[in-house]
Amino acid sequence: MLGPVSSKIKSISKVKYDEKPFEHWGLTSNEVRKITEKKDHGLYDKRMTLKDAVAKLVKDGINLGVGGFVNTRVPAAIIHEIIRKGVQNLTLSFHSNSICLEWLAGAMICYPEKVSIKRVELAWWGYELIGIAPLWRYLVQNKIVETDDYTNYGMSVRFKAGAMGIPFIPVRDHGGSDMELVNRGKMIECPFTGQNIYLLPACNPDVGIVHTTAADMYGNARIFGALCTCPEIAMASAYTIMTTDKVIPTDTIRRYPNLTEIPYVAVDAVVEQPFGCYPGACYGYYWFDMDHLRMYRGICDDFRKTGNKDGLKKYFNDYIFGCETFDDFLEKTAGYKKLRQLRELDGGQPIYTL
Amino acid sequence: MPEYSAFEMIAFTGSRQLQDNKIVFVGTGLPIIAAMHAQLTHAPNLYMIYEAGSLAPILDIGMPLSVGDTRAGHKACFMKGLCAVFELTQRGFADYAFIGGAQIDMYGNISSTIEGNYYNKPDIRFPGSGGAGAMAANCGKTIAIMALEKRRFCKKVDFITSIGYGDGSPDYREKAGVMGAGPYRVITQQALFGFDEATRRMKLLEVKPGFTPQQIQEMIEFELIIPPDVTDMAEPTDEDLRLLRDVIDSEGYFLRRVVKK
Repeated sequence: MLGPVSSKIKSISKVKYDEKPFEHWGLTSNEVRKITEKKDHGLYDKRMTLKDAVAKLVKDGINLGVGGFVNTRVPAAIIHEIIRKGVQNLTLSFHSNSICLEWLAGAMICYPEKVSIKRVELAWWGYELIGIAPLWRYLVQNKIVETDDYTNYGMSVRFKAGAMGIPFIPVRDHGGSDMELVNRGKMIECPFTGQNIYLLPACNPDVGIVHTTAADMYGNARIFGALCTCPEIAMASAYTIMTTDKVIPTDTIRRYPNLTEIPYVAVDAVVEQPFGCYPGACYGYYWFDMDHLRMYRGICDDFRKTGNKDGLKKYFNDYIFGCETFDDFLEKTAGYKKLRQLRELDGGQPIYTL
Repeated sequence: MPEYSAFEMIAFTGSRQLQDNKIVFVGTGLPIIAAMHAQLTHAPNLYMIYEAGSLAPILDIGMPLSVGDTRAGHKACFMKGLCAVFELTQRGFADYAFIGGAQIDMYGNISSTIEGNYYNKPDIRFPGSGGAGAMAANCGKTIAIMALEKRRFCKKVDFITSIGYGDGSPDYREKAGVMGAGPYRVITQQALFGFDEATRRMKLLEVKPGFTPQQIQEMIEFELIIPPDVTDMAEPTDEDLRLLRDVIDSEGYFLRRVVKK
């Protein structure tokens, strides 16, 4: 029997943590395969409203894999609809993200009967330049959510293992850090080299949510700019909801099949939603809206400092519950002039949708 | 010498550590500015990796405000996702990791996860590892930017997020299963640090003109190695400051930032 072994981290670590036997926080590779095997694998039109997609696929207790990276190509519109529908006991899985998670956290703080987060497996939750994420800090410092920490590569490659249909993947990081002690990975002795190597469990979410540059009605998607880990999240998840800035003809997809980053088989719902990442950025279309990110972050920080939920509730009433669709939100918050300005700020990054 | 700010000194010092014909995996903020400055001066063939997925972009439409900024992909040679670029580090293609953190110890172990000792209910929760843990593990050499304060340069960090030399034993990193050589430089406004090859402990390399090694030691909780040949840190020239202020961070997002205490 090889391993488990460990690095020398225990000799220097100061950290105390709750020890728990290993459990899967999402589906196992076998479970996700069974779900996939039962699906129809033909080409059929998957376009639907976001409301229908979320009502059909987002259920209590699921592991939700969130695409994008910090403020880039984040599935903002899908998160709004999830909050409007309501969902309990979420497990959130992602590498690095910002406002999408702060929206879910804000909804949980103000309307716990509607939205609740049970646990979070992640690498990073914040706004980079704009500041730390106040609600993330609040949730963890008050032990409201359970956490499991990895590196950005760790979370990304856990989705990749999920996409590969394998139960774990060896990596060259985490070992020798306190993440080796607190997260659900394990150090083993490599059966081939005899050296220590860290293993991470695959991540197979119940539902993956991603936004893409362009997709056809079947879900074949192109992504320009950094792919983040969106293809892996879509491939790893039992079901994927995809918003896209533009629905394009399948003839276009078939002309350059190499440009398809997510194949239709991995997608269950296609929703055309221009500006679907707002206030995040989408390469080739629009840059992020610093003003809106700062505004919502400020409201959250006020809550963290004062405990007063009034500002947060007003935001949710005005901009999420007070909007029937994401188009309503765009009209209420950004408006035409702002969206046009964000389009200019993108700088015309080249994308190809022909 | 011209007047310069703390951030400008850190960015300039960061730039000096980066050699030409290398690849630097950058974190948000000052590492990006340092790398851009190096490209514009002594290292025109230095290239960056951005963790959302790009290699060797040309940043002529503006400095990316974050490593996930869509501008970070502009005119890149290669653009995929996080897996692809972190696998470049595992394979040995990234020469430098350029990161930051909240606390650092004498062996270059860095915390950016929590403050306080109880992981499940910490005193302060930070954003988390992000890319830093993987960069410190598998890039060739790790360069860190830190604020020089006693509570940050501490005997033991609360949580090792980014691996340094661990307990200083020669095989710590090997037993950890990581590939990179480990900590190389620590940059602060008042001093530049390296690491002693024999003991892997932090040592003073340069001090800002006007400071003595003893004053630097007083701002640090652990005992520094202070060799006899400590030199003065180079200061940015008018031309360096013009590049930093007018060309690289022309909108002042990082260099003109006001730090809240």
